[in-house]
Amino acid sequence: MGNNTVFAVTVFFICFRECIETTVVVSVLLAFLKQAIGGPDGDPATHKRLVKQVWLGCGLGLFICLCVGAGMIGAFYGLGTDTFSSTEDIWEGVLAIISSLIISLMGAALLRVSKLQDKWRIKLAKALEQQKNAEKPSKGRFKRWLEKYAMFILPFVTVLREGLECVVYVGGVGLGLPATSFPLAVVCGLLAGILVGYIIYKGGKETSLQIFLIISTCFLYLVAGGLFSRGVWYFQNHAWSKVIGGDASETGSGPGSYNINQSVWHVNCCNPELGGGGGWGIFNALLGWTNSATYGSVLAYNFYWIAVMVGYGAMLYRERRGSLPLVDPVFNRIGAFKARVKAFIFRESLEEPTPAEASGAVGHTGMMEKTSEVGVSTVRQAEP
Amino acid sequence: MASSVRGLLLCLSAVFFCLQCCQAKTVQFDWNVTWVTANPDGLYDRKVVGINGQWPLPVVEVNKGDRLVVNMYNGLGDKSASIHWHGMFQNGTNNMDGPSMVTQCPIVPGSSFTYDFTVNQNGTYWYHCHTNYCYPDGYRQALIVHDTEAYFNDMYDEEFTVTMSDWYHELIEDIGPSFINLANPTGAEPLPNAFLFNDTLNTSISVQPDKTYMFRLINIGAFVGQYFYIEDHSFRIVEIDGVYVEPQEADILYIAVAQRYSILVTTKSTANKNFPIVTVADSALLDTIPSNLQLNNTNWLEYDASAAHPQAVMKVAVATELNPFDDVNLVPWDHEPLLPDPDLTIDVTVIMQDLGNGASYAFLNNISYTKPKVPTLYSVLSSGDLSTNSEIYGEFTHPYVLGHNQVVEIILNNGDTGTHPFHLHGHNFQVIERAPPYGPNFYSYLNGDPVPYNPSNHTAFPKYPARRDTLVLPPQGHFVIRFVADNPGVWFFHCHIDWHLSQGLAMTLIEAPQQIQERVSIAEDQYAACRAGGMQHEGNAAGNTEDFLDLQGQNKQVKWLPAGFTDRGIIALVFSCVAAFCGMAFITVYGMTGLETKKSKKREAGEDSNSN
Repeated sequence: MGNNTVFAVTVFFICFRECIETTVVVSVLLAFLKQAIGGPDGDPATHKRLVKQVWLGCGLGLFICLCVGAGMIGAFYGLGTDTFSSTEDIWEGVLAIISSLIISLMGAALLRVSKLQDKWRIKLAKALEQQKNAEKPSKGRFKRWLEKYAMFILPFVTVLREGLECVVYVGGVGLGLPATSFPLAVVCGLLAGILVGYIIYKGGKETSLQIFLIISTCFLYLVAGGLFSRGVWYFQNHAWSKVIGGDASETGSGPGSYNINQSVWHVNCCNPELGGGGGWGIFNALLGWTNSATYGSVLAYNFYWIAVMVGYGAMLYRERRGSLPLVDPVFNRIGAFKARVKAFIFRESLEEPTPAEASGAVGHTGMMEKTSEVGVSTVRQAEP
Repeated sequence: MASSVRGLLLCLSAVFFCLQCCQAKTVQFDWNVTWVTANPDGLYDRKVVGINGQWPLPVVEVNKGDRLVVNMYNGLGDKSASIHWHGMFQNGTNNMDGPSMVTQCPIVPGSSFTYDFTVNQNGTYWYHCHTNYCYPDGYRQALIVHDTEAYFNDMYDEEFTVTMSDWYHELIEDIGPSFINLANPTGAEPLPNAFLFNDTLNTSISVQPDKTYMFRLINIGAFVGQYFYIEDHSFRIVEIDGVYVEPQEADILYIAVAQRYSILVTTKSTANKNFPIVTVADSALLDTIPSNLQLNNTNWLEYDASAAHPQAVMKVAVATELNPFDDVNLVPWDHEPLLPDPDLTIDVTVIMQDLGNGASYAFLNNISYTKPKVPTLYSVLSSGDLSTNSEIYGEFTHPYVLGHNQVVEIILNNGDTGTHPFHLHGHNFQVIERAPPYGPNFYSYLNGDPVPYNPSNHTAFPKYPARRDTLVLPPQGHFVIRFVADNPGVWFFHCHIDWHLSQGLAMTLIEAPQQIQERVSIAEDQYAACRAGGMQHEGNAAGNTEDFLDLQGQNKQVKWLPAGFTDRGIIALVFSCVAAFCGMAFITVYGMTGLETKKSKKREAGEDSNSN
């Protein structure tokens, strides 16, 4: 993961991504309010009240998140996670691979951030639909309250959810990083996310936005590929340290610091691990550069990209030719199960997911929800 | 205790013999070398190399001028051996020197070999196995040459021989393979388990007040140098490595492996107390210091056997804080003057480095000594007129041909951070320069780059340089030695730390090869040792007897580590880049497709509204 003590690239991307999602929701809400009741023949007082609700929900959610996040990270470092960050290779390897997976799964969502708008428009429409039915006396008071303050609840919950997700991700990804590398990355991520969200709200040129997103996604995948390779490298380094009795550090970056039998290339310079790594540390964090490549790390890097190609190929195939054999039925099952669970919890009537949704944009976001769940659970496993 | 008593008896008998007849005699031994079990440190029973079923091995004592004949039979069963008579000049008997593949073939199990030479020198020496690393298994002991004409003969009342040694619990055949190994890239030397004093621990040397005793101190260890002092006693140095020196007062010595000192200790006039004789292992040589390794050991100068035997109280935290006497300052008794400017200068640098198999090796310049296929001496004898051409001895024996009676200077620079006690066979040499000197600055070159010898800027050479056969090379420092090539023979110049020798820290000096051919003849049983081991005793380093300049098939050192990017590295890097770009291309296509479908949807929607 590099020893960059100033700027944690992965943390930056996570904050950036989560912030975009939040701003998209807020922007959709604001746009919707403007359209529905903010017009010349609307109700300025209600509009103002509802906009206030949106911002209030947003602000409160953000505040809680920051508190929780600060508390969590404070607790991590306060309780001495520095023992983990102390070059325990196996630990670093696990974290690198987990972050790599998280970033990879998130990357696809970032790429399709414009799709989020569609997703949230549908959700909002559903919410309003239910609001219309709210007059029905069968609903409980709580539900009615929920609906009355939907304009507060929705951004609040979204911000809270994205924010907590972000905290968990940052916690998971950043455990191996020095605490000093967090603040700048978090602030930059949030600022960049808000900027992009604002562009989306203003309805900036979608094409240039999309190109921007593609470029940033590519970057994200470069980082993730590097992390994946690095993770494997750490495992091998751990094995090597065990072989030579734990004095790999004594040998610096010269001969003996690596297993010649596993080495693909080794240059006695440009070590991203020593002395902060300098420029090589950044090179390492962004592109996975190492001065001592092993068979494992090179293969991992290449297999990572093959997996990315297969994944994106499959998604492309699905978009163009309809559902994938084998894979989609499984996702549908999972989707159906989730819907049932949700219905059970909220005591709602079960909405069967339509097969049409499984393909295209909505189905895709469904899949992303699923995958991000996977990400969360892996992170939880990683927590001590 | 037992060994010192026996030493005493031997001494007495030697003195007796000396008195009886001062004529040269033949001392003959038949040695059957076999495995025996011993536990000298009281910690662990282990197999050791015994002679005629005995260990500790017999101390060999001869008089100057005696002929020593040792018939050695290798009864070890699983291991080749040989004997090197450390410090013996072997003038005219180069084939009796002992190092395997230099002057003889290793003596394989079941075969025998006769060492037969005349001892025309005096002082304190030792003998040890010189085949692969075999002497740390216990195959080493003192060799004392008595001299009725030594200037200090009437300056002492009694003499003792004291050996000190590192001691391993594991057999060398078990430690060795994991030493030069991928898993030991730093070349960390195996750590000893104990340090012995006269092949035991906690012994007393019984003395009487107001007398003077001579101690012959020998480090017969394989690795670790030792500091030596006696609490509340100073002493006079009278001999180093067989060279008598002007008496020099000192109170602490550093004795590297293979070095010898004779000292005169005058006892106190009161006899109510025993004084610790302290040996402190040079922990700077050790990679790590195990908590159960006793670095400083106490034995006693025993005035009164019934008094307390106190343990030594260490005055320093680490051994390197002790300031031993600098042997370079000693003046030989014979006042041999500084040799003139050299006819031949050999300038080499010690380097420790990993080779292509990931294991650590040692180099002089960039050659790690690798055994030839034919012992170098036998190559000299079988090569006729080509013997003066160093090529025939192979590139990796690091050969230098010295002309007869040339003044030879060896400049040895240390590019390594460790100390290296270098030993030259067949000679003692004048020490004309060494930096840094023993004392508080000994480790002062450690911080920074190695300091090589600068011929145009050095301290003034001593008028009567100290001479010895084993000299310590300081960390990142250097030394310069001179000698006259007046002893035709093939002489090994190597680090006496046996581990470093096995890593290749050695070179071969072929001194006056034509004179060797004239003077040295090989006994038939010595060639038979080669045949018994399936080895050639003729030919160049590659075993070629037809064309001595054709070295195809010679033993070579392991290949160098590949530097930076090799072909496979470049291919791997290119592949990785291509994979990354392909992956990003997929991402881009997918991202752009999303845009297109959206646009087309919009278009469709627009068309719909139009049609309405």
